[in-house]
Amino acid sequence: MLKVQRLSKQFANGRGVFDLSFSVERGEVFGFLGPNGAGKSTTIRHIMGFMKPDQGSVEVNGLNTWEKQGKVQKFMGYLPGEIAFMEGMTGRSFLGFMSRMQGLKDTARREELIERLQFDVNTPIRKMSKGMKQKVGIVAAFMHRPDVIILDEPTSGLDPLMQKVFVELVLEEKRRGTTFLMSSHSFPEIESTCDRAAIIKDGRLVAINNIHDLQQMQRKIFEVVFHNREDAERFASSGMLEIESHSDLRVSVAVQGNYDLFTAEAAKYKIRNIDIHTQSLEQIFMNYYDRKGNQ
Amino acid sequence: MNLSLYAQMLKNNAKGICSYALGSAFYIMLMLWLYPSIAEHTQVMNDLLKSIPSGITKAFGLENGMGDLESFLSGEYYGLIFIIILSIFSLMISTQLMARMVDQGSMAYLLSTPTTRAQVASTQAAVLITGLFIIMAATTLAGFAGNLLFISDPGAFHAGNFLRLNLMGFLMFFALSGVSFLVSSVSNDEKRAMSISGVIVIGSYCLDLIGRLSEQTGWMRNLSVFSLFRPSELVKGSAEWTGQLWVLLGIGALFFILAVVLFKRRDLPL
Repeated sequence: MLKVQRLSKQFANGRGVFDLSFSVERGEVFGFLGPNGAGKSTTIRHIMGFMKPDQGSVEVNGLNTWEKQGKVQKFMGYLPGEIAFMEGMTGRSFLGFMSRMQGLKDTARREELIERLQFDVNTPIRKMSKGMKQKVGIVAAFMHRPDVIILDEPTSGLDPLMQKVFVELVLEEKRRGTTFLMSSHSFPEIESTCDRAAIIKDGRLVAINNIHDLQQMQRKIFEVVFHNREDAERFASSGMLEIESHSDLRVSVAVQGNYDLFTAEAAKYKIRNIDIHTQSLEQIFMNYYDRKGNQ
Repeated sequence: MNLSLYAQMLKNNAKGICSYALGSAFYIMLMLWLYPSIAEHTQVMNDLLKSIPSGITKAFGLENGMGDLESFLSGEYYGLIFIIILSIFSLMISTQLMARMVDQGSMAYLLSTPTTRAQVASTQAAVLITGLFIIMAATTLAGFAGNLLFISDPGAFHAGNFLRLNLMGFLMFFALSGVSFLVSSVSNDEKRAMSISGVIVIGSYCLDLIGRLSEQTGWMRNLSVFSLFRPSELVKGSAEWTGQLWVLLGIGALFFILAVVLFKRRDLPL
């Protein structure tokens, strides 16, 4: 459905994307991960046909997005990373305008989306908060039921409740066979929607993993509080686990993948409380890159 | 052309276009209203103008003196105020229609719908030209209305001369806004686009002004698009204007087409 082939683009400052290839199948949700400045937005610009590749190509539905700009957009939806609407419009007049540009007659879907995201569509855009603009952008990207939806940091500015609504929306569309590519920093969002994810760094593809592999890579810190000091002492010095820190009754254990071992060890003692700190996506990357570098 | 985009853009810019149109119309009415009282003192004014070196009067298009209504209008309005109003309008709106939308990022939305870049750029050009047309139409109508209201002498105002003056004024700014539209279409930065176009417009005007001051600097006029619009000669009905008409039309068309072509090919940082 979406095919990036040996895409290269270098900017004057030496940055860019280099020899990037991946493809996304129909009905798949593809995550696009990487630190800031890694080349995520540049890739998305090429997918949208805003930039001409130095080398390589991007095809959506078999059409080259640079050469067929204006045609490809018929079956694409787009949510920009930094949303800028036209000045002097309300949410409703903007969405009406976008519907006309899409040649969309049926407004039922649009109204349904507005209803679900719960925002006042008659607010002038310049008075909208970041989250509200994001909602208008989501409606604009989904309302014409496109086959492919490109989302650049879709949940930034949304509160947790709305992030959940958004995830539901993506999963629904996925069931209908819509293809997604989304860049994100938020692990829960990627975790609950994506099938596969690409990791990109310095303009190069580091890896494409299915989402379970990424979950395996995620280190979790279990902060265990024991009932008595001796137990804590023994647990920390068992030598089986990776101990991050130990003070008094409290022991922090880093776990990556081998949950069985951790639960088996912990079950031997009386435990008062367990807290879990999950590693952020950025930290996972850093881990990943480090390992790559060491090999 | 994309009609939905055209309608929306015209609507978004309606306020701006209307205020420039009203401003220009109001100003020309004011001039016509003032003229009868100035006319009583034309002798004094003409003597005063004669005492100024001829280069200077020529530079500001006052060589016809203020003896009659048409010289007064062409010198006082079309020679200066009109040029300032329309230059500012052309600069502002041509920058807003392209460079600003790229700079802020709202262009991304236009290009994420099934419209080609060529369609977007030519629609924006059409909005600009429509804006110019509305301002010129308002100015022309206000001129006729002012004549009916304030000027008692029926021989002072010739409809043909006045229409020709406005037609050439329109084409003059069609050409000039073509240049600034081109600059706007290839710029990523709104402020930069504005300053480059500003330098071009003010520079051309200065070249024309200096060129008119004396014989030695006369060649400079040939470098400036403003030399193709000579209000004081247009109202006198001197013959040489159809050639200038085609040149202005050609310059404008060339720059607008070039703008669309270059916009189609370039990378956009959206």
